[in-house]
Amino acid sequence: MNTILTSARHEILCTLRARVALLLLVVFLGMVSLSSLIGWITNTTVTRVYEKILADGLTTAPNPFAAVSALYYSRNSVIYVVLIGALMAIILGVQATLRDRKSATADLVLSRPVNTVQRLIGQFLGLGAVIAAVLAASTVISGASISIIMGAPLGLDPSVRLIGFAALSWALMMIFALLGMLTGLYSRKETTALLVPFVIWSAIAFVLPQIGTAARPVALLNPVPALASPGRGSFDLIGAVTGPFTITEQFKRAASIVLRDDSVTGSPWLSILLLVAVLIAMTWIVVVTPRRTLRSGLNE
Amino acid sequence: MNSTWIVAEKELLDLRRGRLFAILIGFLAVATLISVAAASADFRNQLDAYNLYVANLATSGSTVAAAAPQLFPLKLLRGGVEYLEILGALFAIVLGYGTIAKEKHRGTLHLFLSRPVGRFAFAGGKVLGLSIVWLGVVAALTAVSLVAVVTIGHAPIQGIDVARLLIAGGFAWLYLVFWTALAVGLTALSTRLSTGLIVALVIWLAFVLIIPQIGDTMDPDNQVPGGLFATLQIQKPDELAVLAQFSAFDGIRNGLEASSVTKHFERLTFAFLGIKDQYNQQPLSLMWAAMLPYAITLTAATLAAVVFAALATTRRTLQRKQS
Repeated sequence: MNTILTSARHEILCTLRARVALLLLVVFLGMVSLSSLIGWITNTTVTRVYEKILADGLTTAPNPFAAVSALYYSRNSVIYVVLIGALMAIILGVQATLRDRKSATADLVLSRPVNTVQRLIGQFLGLGAVIAAVLAASTVISGASISIIMGAPLGLDPSVRLIGFAALSWALMMIFALLGMLTGLYSRKETTALLVPFVIWSAIAFVLPQIGTAARPVALLNPVPALASPGRGSFDLIGAVTGPFTITEQFKRAASIVLRDDSVTGSPWLSILLLVAVLIAMTWIVVVTPRRTLRSGLNE
Repeated sequence: MNSTWIVAEKELLDLRRGRLFAILIGFLAVATLISVAAASADFRNQLDAYNLYVANLATSGSTVAAAAPQLFPLKLLRGGVEYLEILGALFAIVLGYGTIAKEKHRGTLHLFLSRPVGRFAFAGGKVLGLSIVWLGVVAALTAVSLVAVVTIGHAPIQGIDVARLLIAGGFAWLYLVFWTALAVGLTALSTRLSTGLIVALVIWLAFVLIIPQIGDTMDPDNQVPGGLFATLQIQKPDELAVLAQFSAFDGIRNGLEASSVTKHFERLTFAFLGIKDQYNQQPLSLMWAAMLPYAITLTAATLAAVVFAALATTRRTLQRKQS
């Protein structure tokens, strides 16, 4: 237990000392703060566009934005978690396990009576605490921004939903942090350790969803998920196979439902279960890393 | 010039021997093939739906039918272009970073700098070597795209299509050299190697993903699935008339998009490949006239990145001790 806590504390300290990691955290928080503002400006403009159309007698349809939820303004945060959050988590994960190998302190640490499973769990928890703190800050910023926009404090339901969204974001970011930890443990070069998880992230975020839904890469930057819809021929079968592996789209689906995005319907539980299952599997794969792998040197 | 060429040759040799480069290019080629396969399968689905619709009309005795969906071969490459603008840029950064990082790690940098080489020999050789590599990559991806369109997409290719593809390939080469040169300069400037890579990645995130995404989000027509104006059944001339009154907002939105070099590359390639309907099947002269500003800015950005790499990669910056 002592090993776990010491490793976790050390990981938090190292992450806070790394200025570059902090730069990424600032970018992430900045974008989450901006997303509410962008959502508000856009919604205000689109409402004015609708009012103009109505005044010109071009439509009699009701305003499609009349009943948008307060959480509508934070919908862009979903995509920032997939883009910035996941990449930030990869970098933190790679640095966590590569640090000891680069400076050869792994030999020193493992010369002590240290259990490798506890050591890795400690690093995982340290990273988890840092990411949780960032998400807590982003949730407070989102809540405050929405309250200012709406001119009233957030109610209980939207607040709980924002916290639920943060929990989902933590699960997704920890999956990518674990992926980074894994390549940091097994790669022989620092470049490979950073590049391989980026390639895997690209495949999960862009290639797999395209195979299953024909959605183009840039269309996948939309916060609304591109999950397979029935009646699209060959995509039905492929989408059913690739769907569970497209964890970024599963996250977008669950997050959109939690944030009450009307364009996504259904239950979020299957997507949440998939995310949790992948998180557990990744944790297990990382913590069973053999002792000699932790001590292996780098080629560059 | 001689020492510059020697550095470039060594770079080519290193990349040919390393597995990393092969993995990156293989991934891009596979992603391009998948995007063509997905686009052509999607088109076949549309065609099947249209045929079913026509058959149902015929059964009901009606003779009025909508126009059949038309296959424009180069439109199948939209996904491939988007992969290049997102992942190609990412891989260009990694290769740019790797070329400086390996010399610092191996200690070969000090050996090289102990020789009587010119001020720009190292940076020039590195950027030249990587530019040649990207030329080869773009040529290979162009060939893969052509073969994919013909074999997977079952689409006929004409001479003009090849010319359009070659022009788009030229812009892709400029775009990739831009990101590689930027990463070379940033890595040379940073005392900690990973700092250079991460700063380059933050720039990539901002200009490739975030700014275009914000621009897309701010588009009024993207606020409702299927489009706001289509949902409200507004005709195109009325749509344009309404939007003309919100030109300030649209100006800010377009300005945001135009600040990203990625959008310049996208607008150029989408125009020349006919992916953007406005330019589909239009003569090349018309496209050059319309796209010249973007061609100039992309070329200028690439030149600026190369100059930055050359100026940043000095003896002093390269030999600074890690903090």
